[in-house]
Amino acid sequence: MDANTSAQLMSILQRYVFNVANLQGMLRMATPVILAGLCALITSRAGILNIAGEGMILFGAWFAVAGSYFFQNAWVGLLAGILSGLVVGGLFALFSLKLRAHIIIMGIAINTFANAATIFMTRAVFKMAGAFADPRIQGLNPIHIPVLKNVPILGQLLSGYTFIVYLAWILIILTTVFLYRTPWGRHLRAVGENPQAAETLGINVPRVRFAAVMASGVFASLAGVYLSLGHLKMYTDQMAAGRGFIGMAVNTFGAGEPVGVFLASLLFGFVDMIGYRLQADSLLPPYFVSMLPYVATLLALTVYTLRRRRAAKSALQAASNEE
Amino acid sequence: MPRSLQATLKRFVNLGLSILAAILVGSLIMIWYKRNPIEVYRLLFLSAFGSQRAIFISLQRATPLIFTAIASTLAFRTGVFNVGVEGQFFIGAIFGTFVGYAVKLPMILHLPLTLLTGFTAGAIWAFFPTMMRQKLGISEIITTIMTNYIATFLISFLTNYPMRASPTTAQTPPVQPTAVLPQFVELTKGALGKGSQAHVGIFIALAVVAIIYFIFKRTKLGYEWRMVGLSFPFSQFGGIDLDRTFIGGMLVSGGIAGLGGAVEILGVWRKYKDLFAIGFGFRGNLAALLGRQDVIGTTIAALFYGSMEAGAMGLDWTAGIPRQLIDILVGLIIFFMAAEGMWEFLGRIRISGATTAERRTTGQES
Repeated sequence: MDANTSAQLMSILQRYVFNVANLQGMLRMATPVILAGLCALITSRAGILNIAGEGMILFGAWFAVAGSYFFQNAWVGLLAGILSGLVVGGLFALFSLKLRAHIIIMGIAINTFANAATIFMTRAVFKMAGAFADPRIQGLNPIHIPVLKNVPILGQLLSGYTFIVYLAWILIILTTVFLYRTPWGRHLRAVGENPQAAETLGINVPRVRFAAVMASGVFASLAGVYLSLGHLKMYTDQMAAGRGFIGMAVNTFGAGEPVGVFLASLLFGFVDMIGYRLQADSLLPPYFVSMLPYVATLLALTVYTLRRRRAAKSALQAASNEE
Repeated sequence: MPRSLQATLKRFVNLGLSILAAILVGSLIMIWYKRNPIEVYRLLFLSAFGSQRAIFISLQRATPLIFTAIASTLAFRTGVFNVGVEGQFFIGAIFGTFVGYAVKLPMILHLPLTLLTGFTAGAIWAFFPTMMRQKLGISEIITTIMTNYIATFLISFLTNYPMRASPTTAQTPPVQPTAVLPQFVELTKGALGKGSQAHVGIFIALAVVAIIYFIFKRTKLGYEWRMVGLSFPFSQFGGIDLDRTFIGGMLVSGGIAGLGGAVEILGVWRKYKDLFAIGFGFRGNLAALLGRQDVIGTTIAALFYGSMEAGAMGLDWTAGIPRQLIDILVGLIIFFMAAEGMWEFLGRIRISGATTAERRTTGQES
């Protein structure tokens, strides 16, 4: 490689990858995916297939804006969003676990219902169609971390985000601690891995699952709150845009581990961010940028599964060679 | 009482009570919205069935739903949750439009070719998630949802750039007269269906229903589809080629959705306007759930949903009540219907110890 091409390569890398603004964008765009991923994680670790995350995100986003609008306070908005997550999660758990509705049918119905209900409520309550923005809606303010914010690159990279970005990071740590260092976490894993065995050990399986679904509602609603108050301060119909399902994919890549979910979400944030850069430079036609996260999900799922298969196969071969 | 009759009776009681419960919750919503529920329901009913025009608009709205609902039911019955009918419908519609306006042929060839294109395009769109599930075991729920989004943005690109024919809106050129499905108002010179765009595509929809019903009831293929949906290990043991059965079911499901998209374009719109079709697929999923994944039940559910949608549109125009009200009501019906545990008080009708699968089989036989 001659000096000219390597200089060009460096400038491309700088433009698209190694600059602070890009990495900030990546961390921001990863946030709702992290939270949606945790929503999928907590239920999948309890052995529940919860596809209702998408609907829960939508409700969270809507109620956050409603709370913030009526009380002109972002924290009330946050609270309203979380409450909606608890209510929707609770209803989902009640119907699918207690009243034995088929959980996938329930999930499909909740997602479609959430879509219709939020469009209906936007028109009924705010008298608006499609989107709702108003100066009365207070967004969450950026937090500037003292001391850290003055450190040259690190300060820019890690300081100045809104509360939910930090909360998502903290929740990754808390979920790890919860899963592996607390008795409740052990119970949850036991229920997910072998419900019969868990039951004989005296664990109240239905109660653990109910709690897991409620928790997933809170995680998903936080993702929604971030979408409507964390960055833009407005509500748009269907603003969840498939993140509930991308969260499920991220949980797969992360192998059900919180740290794995975090890393996989960063990858998604990165794809999102680079798409916008490419569009800004007219290197990618419009609409293809919007398509990117979904294409990336399909590609990543395929590559991930193929690699895991290959790994399993070679492990099997190694085992048979030893004999 | 024979078991199958008991099961059917129970299903009807369940459905009736679920609808009643949804109507009650809906009334609360209307009271919150400061409307008189009785008046609103009366208007809803009148806008759906109250005049010849209303009935034809109901037919028009039901036509695409029959396709997407049958597509969903076919997939559900073979044991997969095809929530991608939404995207498959779009893709069938856009490629149908393209062949409709870009190709010049006599009608006797052009119309079938356009419909076939819709079917094929929908099937191809379903092919990717199908193979990902079949070869790699990746959940079709995630992948089909992803392909919905990809279809949406792909079509926005196509209608905004390469296929765009209008400087002001994102829409394609009109399809040629040789590829158009006639509307009733055109056929009868205004005697029937005035003020609606109901079209002969409804007969294609009913033909699809008849074919799928026949396949399920009378052919080996239908038997295999049913068995795979009921019990995966059992059907493998019974020597059914699972790969072929599963892939076939999913592709035909996508094809029917795509055909529905093409029919909707050729009958009602006659050009592709960006974002026109949002929701047809998801409503089809709901109609399939409402019809309990039974071919005839699903068709009735799609007709019901379509007419209620027409009613809700009337409400929206005349009384300013958002038309999503009807999606909310249908969602509520499904919540109540699906909640098995709510129906235990029907103990006397309930067959003790029957599993869901058993009940589903007895339901089909009845």
